[in-house]
Amino acid sequence: MTTTPRPYTLVAELTYRCPLRCVYCSNPVDFHRSRSELSTGEWRRVFSQAAELGVMQLHLSGGEPVLREDLVELIQHARANDLYTNLITGGTLLDEDKLRRFRDAGLDHIQLSIQGAARESAETIAGVGSHQKKLDVAQLIRKIGFPLTLNVVIHRLNIVEVPELITLALELGADRLELANTQFYAWAAENRRALMPTREDYDRAEEIARAAIAKYRGTLEIPFVHNDYLSGEPKPCMGGWGRSYMCINPTGAVMPCHAAAVIPGLVFESIRDNSLEKIWRDSPAMNAFRGDDWMMEPCRSCERKTIDFGGCRCQAFMLAGNAAEADPICRLSPHHGIVESMRKDSAADDPLIYRDAKSSRALSRS
Amino acid sequence: MNADHTWRPRLASRARLKFDPIAQQEMLLFPEAALALNETGAAIVRLCDGAHSIDEIVDQLSKKYDNADRDALMREVMDFLATIRARGLLQ
Ligand code: SF4
Ligand code: SF4
Repeated sequence: MTTTPRPYTLVAELTYRCPLRCVYCSNPVDFHRSRSELSTGEWRRVFSQAAELGVMQLHLSGGEPVLREDLVELIQHARANDLYTNLITGGTLLDEDKLRRFRDAGLDHIQLSIQGAARESAETIAGVGSHQKKLDVAQLIRKIGFPLTLNVVIHRLNIVEVPELITLALELGADRLELANTQFYAWAAENRRALMPTREDYDRAEEIARAAIAKYRGTLEIPFVHNDYLSGEPKPCMGGWGRSYMCINPTGAVMPCHAAAVIPGLVFESIRDNSLEKIWRDSPAMNAFRGDDWMMEPCRSCERKTIDFGGCRCQAFMLAGNAAEADPICRLSPHHGIVESMRKDSAADDPLIYRDAKSSRALSRS
Repeated sequence: MNADHTWRPRLASRARLKFDPIAQQEMLLFPEAALALNETGAAIVRLCDGAHSIDEIVDQLSKKYDNADRDALMREVMDFLATIRARGLLQ
């Protein structure tokens, strides 16, 4: 048994409630089943335990975390434990008063999602009229003096807007513009055909982003998160399973990543039943793919296994039917053919499935 | 990098210094990532407040590590600032 790695990052999904209905949402498709969110006291305990375990970065996420009425108290508590605290928000519920209270509570950084540069495409994606409000909030965030990351999930419907997104980020005085190509899990997997960009659009966007990254280095940081179907590079999922990252869902289940619930047979223990330290160290789900004993060929004897860890476990399960296989994104995977056909499977006229309770009920019945 | 000794570097508002009690090391934290700093790096970051010029930073450091070679320190400071500036961590 090797020594347990030390976690650096905790994503706290404070709630699955959200006023938006984004078609790429990473919340589980069956989120409507989720009951009884952790209480203020429970989250406070988790943050203290996380800091003790060595966590440095805390991301307050959701759903829409601003829906939590105790958010100011949670930020205060996170800062009292000296965690670098980032709020991941859709922004539509923010106003100047709330932002000032978050600042006074010690919030370090805000990551605001927008769905595109143009109102029409953005609102088609969010499923709610919200674009102008988000731009107003971005300005407020800067006015109050918060550092700002604009996060845009990129897909077939907005990929041609990359140049306008860069201009917008510069105009808004953002510190960072995250061009995060869609990762095909949860709602994005349901909408895959509608969201998969064409090869030409993707290559062009990548080229534009690469030039902008060089041009604005030191002024605007532009992380470009690849679409792994099109880049062909397996993702080093979460920097390795149970290695530095964990996610806690609204009811307290501790997971190596927010998508891991798709893998059958993994039981995610709750911080309601055990300490975070014990779950991180001992829970079978957290240990399921730690290290490389679980690896099969071709990963087992591949020299890249310490770099990409064989890719994403969830994707291996979704596409190859076995979470211990190589991620089929990899050309060496015997299942790579399925990725080759999916990457060409881009359908402009596929109907969009919106992330809301009604679709959640319909999809989780099947 | 051309040294402008009157430049008064200021840490970007999104970056924050934090002592890591587990690794017993100073860390420079910013969204999505962190840099582990050695003692000199942390000392430089503490002086990146927009008030100290490069010359003053080097003065303070050479006082701290008494009789350190000033030219070597200047080079170390400039290299370090170039690294964190390239990551957008200076304003
Ligand atoms: S992706 Fe959209 S719908 Fe999902 S939690 Fe974020 S803002 Fe809400
Ligand atoms: S075989 Fe496995 S370890 Fe090697 S590159 Fe492919 S996914 Fe990565």
